[in-house]
Amino acid sequence: MSIASRLALFAVVVFSWSTTPLSLAAATLDRGLGPEPDALDIHLAQSLSALNVLRDLHEGLITLDPSARLIPGLARAWTVSDDGRVWRFELDPRARWSDGEPITADDVVAGWRRALAPATAAPMAGMLDVVANARAVRTGRMAPSELGVRKEGDHGLVVELEQATPWFAELLTHPLTFPWPGENQARFSGPFVLDRRVPGAHLRLTRNPEYRDRASVALERVVWHVIEEPSVELARYRAGQLHITETIPPGRLDWMREQFGDELRIAPYLGTFFLAFHVGREPFADAPGLRRALSLVIDRELLTERVLGAGEVPTWGLIPPGMPGWPETPAVEERAAAERIAEARELYRAAGFSARRPLRAELRFNTSLTHRRMAAAVAAMWKEQLGVETRLVNEEWKVFVANRRHGRITEIVRGGWIADWRDAANFLQLFETDSPLNYSFFSDREFDALMDAARGRHGEDRLALLRRAEERLLGEHVIIPLYHYVSRHLVRPEVRGFEDNAMDIHLSRWLSLQ
Amino acid sequence: MLKYSLKRLASAIPTLFLLITFAFFMIRIAPGGPFDSERALPPEIEANLAAKYHLDEHLVIQYGRYLWNIARLDFGPSFHYLDWSVNDLILQGAPVSFTLGLLALALALAIGIPIGAWAAFRQNRAADYSVMSLAMVGISIPNFVMAPLLILLFAITLGWLPAGGWEFSPARMVLPVITLALPMIAYIARITRGSMIEVLHASFIRTARAKGMPSRNILFSHALKPALLPVISYLGPAAAAILTGSVVVERIFTIPGIGSYFVQGALNRDYTLVMGVVILYGMLIILFNFLVDLVYAWLDPRIRYDEQEA
Repeated sequence: MSIASRLALFAVVVFSWSTTPLSLAAATLDRGLGPEPDALDIHLAQSLSALNVLRDLHEGLITLDPSARLIPGLARAWTVSDDGRVWRFELDPRARWSDGEPITADDVVAGWRRALAPATAAPMAGMLDVVANARAVRTGRMAPSELGVRKEGDHGLVVELEQATPWFAELLTHPLTFPWPGENQARFSGPFVLDRRVPGAHLRLTRNPEYRDRASVALERVVWHVIEEPSVELARYRAGQLHITETIPPGRLDWMREQFGDELRIAPYLGTFFLAFHVGREPFADAPGLRRALSLVIDRELLTERVLGAGEVPTWGLIPPGMPGWPETPAVEERAAAERIAEARELYRAAGFSARRPLRAELRFNTSLTHRRMAAAVAAMWKEQLGVETRLVNEEWKVFVANRRHGRITEIVRGGWIADWRDAANFLQLFETDSPLNYSFFSDREFDALMDAARGRHGEDRLALLRRAEERLLGEHVIIPLYHYVSRHLVRPEVRGFEDNAMDIHLSRWLSLQ
Repeated sequence: MLKYSLKRLASAIPTLFLLITFAFFMIRIAPGGPFDSERALPPEIEANLAAKYHLDEHLVIQYGRYLWNIARLDFGPSFHYLDWSVNDLILQGAPVSFTLGLLALALALAIGIPIGAWAAFRQNRAADYSVMSLAMVGISIPNFVMAPLLILLFAITLGWLPAGGWEFSPARMVLPVITLALPMIAYIARITRGSMIEVLHASFIRTARAKGMPSRNILFSHALKPALLPVISYLGPAAAAILTGSVVVERIFTIPGIGSYFVQGALNRDYTLVMGVVILYGMLIILFNFLVDLVYAWLDPRIRYDEQEA
């Protein structure tokens, strides 16, 4: 046999072998996940990828439908006291762990106590601070038994809150609050169980036969593929290896639209990108006029359409549209560009700067193609309209977050927030004086007072206070809001049940393959 | 030879110790810590995390604790992949990287050496120029360009091979192995050609020719062994590097090897993971350099380590 024919034979063997993994097996859904989940321990998980997998493997008292609306989960019903402080849940008696043991109120109580125990070192434990005594338990000042959660009968659970918390139901969809499976991490309360996990490659989930509502689960298997690079994910989607991608690569929107048509799903997402001034340091301390000038000259439409080009929604506000109590459309600046720029120039001069004595400022961001393009465009707009000399500082991720947090050398930094749950206070808390997230070092009595007043209120009263807090924040020009995020996925036509939603949560439970 | 081998292996211990010490303190000096993230944590939670991972202790105590643990082959928990220990991650990833690396290495040797030798034999003729031009192209095209091109052609356009993902199946290995092997083929071909030309001008080859020995015998019986010496020295560090995985190839083909842990570990300030892969890499470098020396002695009868030492 000649060498050429041997090679040809080898190629035939190899390529014929390859055809099997390429065909997507029926009833198995292949989904892109993004980076490797940091933890599948419900109390330690922080990354979006971990939370997505955990929502398939476990279930909370309340869960989400395909549109991410709240629906009963492990709790089939609940009531809230008139003052909004006491929540009573009735657990679904059909609810079972994947090993067949019933899920009880004790599992929830044990979970919350573990989440707050200092030895667990749960990074997100602070989310439970709304529960009575949670903070004291978390800091070791009170015994775990004094936490405001207890069982009532076999299937009843009573939660006492520090004060009325209208978004408490939203919090219960977060894995941190799910019932605790115990040290046996191979026990699951959700629609799927973990079958196999290869770090850096994939997590294979199979249907949980003990799930309380197993009839509603169409898929036999879900494979979440760990893929860090969006361009790599796209290649695998194009090669027919994925049904749903986690995201799309930036900056190729026109090509993507042309190539994929309806498979490309871009939808509003509850997140906002902004630049934050360090308002406690020169040159931006006590200079709201100057900060306003820098905001006014940025053309958000140009930025989102020409520079970023991935469907982002330009904005002048912090709270994303669609948030309860907020309009459905993003905040806009009505005035024409020329008028805005004229005002900005006046404010710039009034702050003591001119062409001869230009403002020298530093704009700091972490390594990312999108951030780099954004920063270059913003610096160019500042230069062109005002003559500002901006130094762009690109930092590696950990260096950036450490510098931003300590605030010793920062002037203007890249900022942003994605909603943990649908509530405006989740965004506004970033700017409270004592918040660890307050990297603009904004400390304003009026703003803090409004946030304090909103705590414990509910309904329209509370929303009105939060709207005033946002107005105050924007009026002080602590940040320059630039755009709202959008969720971006590619979804194959045979996938059913994938509904765009502002939380960008798509439980595999609702998905099926045609 | 045995005495020499034992000596070499004993000298590896202080080398490794120095490597561990340097790496331990270097990664700690880097600004930012394992738990810094977009969401800054309240100080009391940061304190809990620091206590859990002993990061609240004095650095020297942490260092002592680390040495004690690795002496027992316990590389500690990963600070970023909380469900895994560093031992788990390396034990799961290393076989993948080793397999791909070994295949790529074998492919590179199987192709690189013959074409290099052939080019030398046909020095300054069309065959030589074309092989060497191709090798230059192989060296110059970085794998982050080559890999997407291969994916575009074989996975997306032709649909013959998967675009990535991992299972121990030939189809999934073809593209990553080719991507890893291409630059190595080029290097090995160039090195082989260079040293082969030198050997072919040596007096013992002239003698063989003068005796009327056929070209094929000259090439395989006399010239190849000495000509391989530079290739072997190149292979030591190259094998250590290729067996520990390539971050680019692993990311592009989404392969769960250990190559990406070098970069991800450092970016995440995952102190223990970085240490784990650095120690593994260090051990492989020491091991392969040692093996290279042994192979040298086998290839070149003039090299006798024990006598030199004496």
